Amino acid sequence: MSERPTRTSWDKQEALARPVGLSKGGREAPVLVCADIERRFGGLRALKGVSLSVEKGEIFGLVGPNGSGKTTMVNVMTGFYPPSSGTVTLFGQDVSGIAPHRIASLGVARTFQNLALFKGMSVLDNIMLGRHTAMRPSALGTFFYWWWSQREELAHRRVVEETIEFMQLEDIRNEPVEVIPIGLQKRVELARALVAEPRFLILDEPMAGMNQEEKEYIARFILDAREERNTTILIIEHHMDVVTAICDRVVVLSYGEIIAEGEPRAAIADPAVVKAYIGERAARRQAGAAA
Amino acid sequence: MFYRRAGIRHTRYQDERQIWPLPFDRRLALLIFLLAIFAPLLIDRLYLVSYLLPWVIWSTAALGLNFLMGGAGQIHLGYGAVIAIGAYASVHMVRAGLPFELAMIGGGLLSAAVGMIFGATALRVKGLYLAMATLAMQYIVDFVIIQFPAISGGTQATLQVPRVSFLGVEVTGDLAPYYVALLICLLVTLFMLNLRRSSFGRALAAVREKDYAAAVIGVNTFRYKLLAFWVSSFIGGVVGSVLAVCYYRAISPDQFHLDLSIQLVAMVIVGGLGSVLGSFFGAALILFAPILLNQFFGFAASELGMTISTDLRSHVPLMLYGAMIVGFLLWEPLGLAKIYANLRNYFLVWPFRHARQ
Ligand SMILES: Nc1ncnc2c1ncn2[C@@H]1O[C@H](COP(=O)(O)OP(=O)(O)OP(=O)(O)O)[C@@H](O)[C@H]1O
Ligand SMILES: [Mg+2]
Repeated sequence: MSERPTRTSWDKQEALARPVGLSKGGREAPVLVCADIERRFGGLRALKGVSLSVEKGEIFGLVGPNGSGKTTMVNVMTGFYPPSSGTVTLFGQDVSGIAPHRIASLGVARTFQNLALFKGMSVLDNIMLGRHTAMRPSALGTFFYWWWSQREELAHRRVVEETIEFMQLEDIRNEPVEVIPIGLQKRVELARALVAEPRFLILDEPMAGMNQEEKEYIARFILDAREERNTTILIIEHHMDVVTAICDRVVVLSYGEIIAEGEPRAAIADPAVVKAYIGERAARRQAGAAA
Repeated sequence: MFYRRAGIRHTRYQDERQIWPLPFDRRLALLIFLLAIFAPLLIDRLYLVSYLLPWVIWSTAALGLNFLMGGAGQIHLGYGAVIAIGAYASVHMVRAGLPFELAMIGGGLLSAAVGMIFGATALRVKGLYLAMATLAMQYIVDFVIIQFPAISGGTQATLQVPRVSFLGVEVTGDLAPYYVALLICLLVTLFMLNLRRSSFGRALAAVREKDYAAAVIGVNTFRYKLLAFWVSSFIGGVVGSVLAVCYYRAISPDQFHLDLSIQLVAMVIVGGLGSVLGSFFGAALILFAPILLNQFFGFAASELGMTISTDLRSHVPLMLYGAMIVGFLLWEPLGLAKIYANLRNYFLVWPFRHARQ
């Protein structure tokens, strides 16, 4: 689904999207530093020495054609695929090869490209699970529920309800998660990631398969999350209108290598990127037409 | 009776998160609880001891196994061995002079320890391989109990349970054993009911449904699978000690063979994976179906003049378990509990068609 950038209502919102006083130049330690990441699957080199860093408070875009290694990169960051070589540093701490649940407990939350909700549970329970790292689950706590767990449960329920309200999921909170439409499921997964109150939020194509209105909704939520909770966000997205509208910086991957980076509009207009997306011949033709 | 949901509004999270949010269900549960308490006054002693008591105990066992299979999604074909460890350990402990209460917990802990060692394989293997690993546990435990006279109790291989008392009451006669079993059953039931609304139960369910998604929200899947085996085996061990002291009163290795494990798995599947109520339904069906069947055969033999060999008579229940497991897996994988839930939902909103809970 390699969409070409289109002009939409996004461009109008751009002014809103870029907050003033972002600590970009400020010498705070980066949230994420990936140094020379390489990842092989058998003979396939899915990532060939990718280096990038994400600053605090930033909305960082990771784009690239299908199969370019974006999801693999995120899986490396979150501990699902340990890098074949290279290091991942989160909040100044080397986390290469550390298990995913330990990375989550550092304050990293993510959503998946192909939804990873828990079937058979209600929307509410799914979102409550997002609070896992903040709670103290135990068998004894369950046994002595009325004395040990109830109060904790209710306190976290309050936090969850705030997010449910924020994400406008009130009327479906008791539905089983598998019966609601995909667009809403994506929103539930985003809510589950948000309730963890992450310092760093990673979104893998949160708007795939959504219509314009739903996309705008999600973009609002992302911007609000940064504004209200000061979350740093890395987003993988194919909709270039969204990327240019909300991202501060992007990195473009192609065949596991970085081919462009920097300010979104400039990076996407880079000839190498155009070539990667629409093929060399078409790129030359386009360049000829522009000249 | 009908429109049972109508007009019920919860204004506090606490109310909404009750075990039974609807007053009707609460009253039903209370009624069943009272019936269980006053059962000795209501039914004949013979029925109490030979039907109700085993039902209570096997339901507790089914709950323990359902915790693992339904709650955490791990199969266990050696739960009979888990129960055996608890039974033998606690009987040896009370014979050595330990109070029954402590022996019960001791039996649970030993079962939990051994069960967790075998469960540790669950961290490496899944599905069929896990089934094989737990089956191996069944055979190894059987073997060890039979081969060591110190455990099985010597040549005639039955181990008598001495007189014990529980919380100051001597566990003899018909009543005391029943109430001890009922108390343990109640505690396990409450634990299982709370599981659904606690973070612990949710985390287990998350590991069961999608382990990578569980990991990404910070659940240590390794630890939770181990914990699931630990807790389930602990319950199994406690049930074993209740079984030995309150029901069998003398234990021998053949009481805990593979067919017990198969029966327990059948109880869980027929009753309903992950359902508390289903564990009781399943235990009842597996326990009473063969008895009814046997009576039917007796009737057929005497009244209708059919000749049925005792061999066939003893094998029919086993075939029946097999048929029931297959039948339920095919047509109603969520078991009797689901059938009940469908009925309940139907009446919840009768005469309308839509039910949400
Ligand atoms: N587990 C795996 N085993 C083998 N190959 C893999 C695995 N995961 C990813 N790959 C390969 O790595 C390459 C990059 O895949 P990846 O999913 O990271 O691409 P992507 O940029 O996320 O693409 P899309 O836009 O389609 O989501 C692909 O060639 C893919 O086939
Ligand atoms: Mg991808």
